[in-house]
Amino acid sequence: MIELDHLYLNLPGFSLSDIHLAVEEGDFFALIGPTGSGKSLILEGMMGLMPFDRGRVRVGGRDITEVPVERRPLAMVYQDYALFPHLNVTENIHYGVRYHGIDPDEARRRFDRLVEVLDLSRILDRKPGTLSGGEQQRTALARSLILNPRVLLLDEPLSALDPSFRDEAKEWLRQIHQALDMTLVMVSHDFNDVVYLANRAALIREGRLVQQGPTLDLFEHPASPFAAAFTGMKNVWPLERARAMGMVPRRDLDPAHSWVGIRPEHLLPEPCATADHRFSGVVTVLRRQGVFTEVGIRLAGGESCWAAWPSHSLGQPPLTPGSRVGFGVWDSALHTL
Amino acid sequence: MGRRDPMAGLFLALSLPLILLVLLPLGNMICRPSLAMMVETIRDPEVVAAIGRSLGFSLTAGGLALVLGTPLAYLLSRKNFWGKRFIEGIMDLPIMIPHPVVGIALLSLAGRNHPLGRALGRLGVEIMGTGTGIVCALLFVGLPFFVGTAKAGFDTVPLRLEKASRTLGAGTLSTFFRITFPLTWRHLVLGLVMCTARGISEFGAIVIVAYHPMTAPVLIYERFTAYGLKYSQPVAVWLIFISLMLFLVLRMLSRGTSPVRS
Repeated sequence: MIELDHLYLNLPGFSLSDIHLAVEEGDFFALIGPTGSGKSLILEGMMGLMPFDRGRVRVGGRDITEVPVERRPLAMVYQDYALFPHLNVTENIHYGVRYHGIDPDEARRRFDRLVEVLDLSRILDRKPGTLSGGEQQRTALARSLILNPRVLLLDEPLSALDPSFRDEAKEWLRQIHQALDMTLVMVSHDFNDVVYLANRAALIREGRLVQQGPTLDLFEHPASPFAAAFTGMKNVWPLERARAMGMVPRRDLDPAHSWVGIRPEHLLPEPCATADHRFSGVVTVLRRQGVFTEVGIRLAGGESCWAAWPSHSLGQPPLTPGSRVGFGVWDSALHTL
Repeated sequence: MGRRDPMAGLFLALSLPLILLVLLPLGNMICRPSLAMMVETIRDPEVVAAIGRSLGFSLTAGGLALVLGTPLAYLLSRKNFWGKRFIEGIMDLPIMIPHPVVGIALLSLAGRNHPLGRALGRLGVEIMGTGTGIVCALLFVGLPFFVGTAKAGFDTVPLRLEKASRTLGAGTLSTFFRITFPLTWRHLVLGLVMCTARGISEFGAIVIVAYHPMTAPVLIYERFTAYGLKYSQPVAVWLIFISLMLFLVLRMLSRGTSPVRS
């Protein structure tokens, strides 16, 4: 569907190098990476707003590298939605209709459907400055979706939202993807959002592609310590150190792998009699994160690791720094990378 | 009402001399002529014609600044190109140059001794002693006011709004007229008013380029040198009154809130 073919871009102080990835039709694809990694730049390049120095961009087999922005079969929703402040919601949504040769009756039908699907009927006459973040986001989505683009690009669609709107907005995005059966490409720095929404993802670091594939693959099989850390695998050790800790899987190891990692939630609090590996240590820190609590544990050999346990299951009396604690690990939960 | 703010009091005390510097001479001059003299002055066809010319030539210069200065201001705001700083510097020059020098420069270019002047002459365009020359001079001295204000207006429109417009299918020109212009028209009108107001007050360049047809500042100068203070004051008061009207319009326009939020 979309193919980014070995793209390069040099800017003062930053460059994109050899970005090569493919998005399949119907994918909800996520470009993820830390702030400043270049993922939004890739999105702008796909849209034609930032011409690449080298490489080709193809959509549906058609090379659109030289096609002007306004003629690309893509639409884009900006991080802050970029609604036109002098136009009301209805005018914003209709803005692009005239450029796409959409029949007025068809435009009316699409408009009515989007107003219904995105629950916009109460705000149609309002200017963007009076809308909440969620309302702005839905207006921006409608403004792009009325054009029926083959691909919708979303630049950090959730980051400008109040936390109370984020779950709702995520649900909107999921519904849109399913209801309209379209290809979405999203930029995000939050792996939790990506796991919830995207079926495939590419991880970018300092302008380079680190890993791409199904989102769950990235989540479960990060290919590098960076990918592991970014996807929430907080426990990663060099192989030799892991061996000394006894934190090595019993299966045959890939000789190319030199790291061992385990997700904090895969450290099982005692009692865990059936676990393949058993450990004990001293709690060094407790960080309550809502439903879960992150527990820092110093093992007998002096190494540290993190566990993420349900806050309600932290024992009675509750764990405190200095408490002794035991935990187990399934062999299958230990990843080598 | 709350407590006294000592800093505000100090700042007000320091501001007072400046306010008086502007207010006292102008206030004194406005109060000097009698009502009868004011009425008599405005009935004088020469005065009406001079003020009319000042307004007409200044508005023409303002209109030309709007048409020609808007694209320049947009380029300076939006694009980075070789020589941009040089052009920005050139745009500020008319503020620094003594205005009689502007008149001399224009005349030396448009005179019969210069190829451009001869070419213009063949086309029937005369600069010396014509309204065309006056408009040129007013455009020269007023352009920095228009371009500066318009550029500041374009700077307030986030680039991403224009990008968003393009992603929705609008071309660059369409984006300008549907997004950029509606969000900056207030600045453009302000620039036009400032350029026009600057033109109304211009004397130094005009007196070199075209003593005749006589504009209001030249008429005031002539009446002052020929008849003295008493006969030049009423014309000056009428000119101040008209300038004041223009600046009231400017203030009213600038009071509206911009639809662009930061």
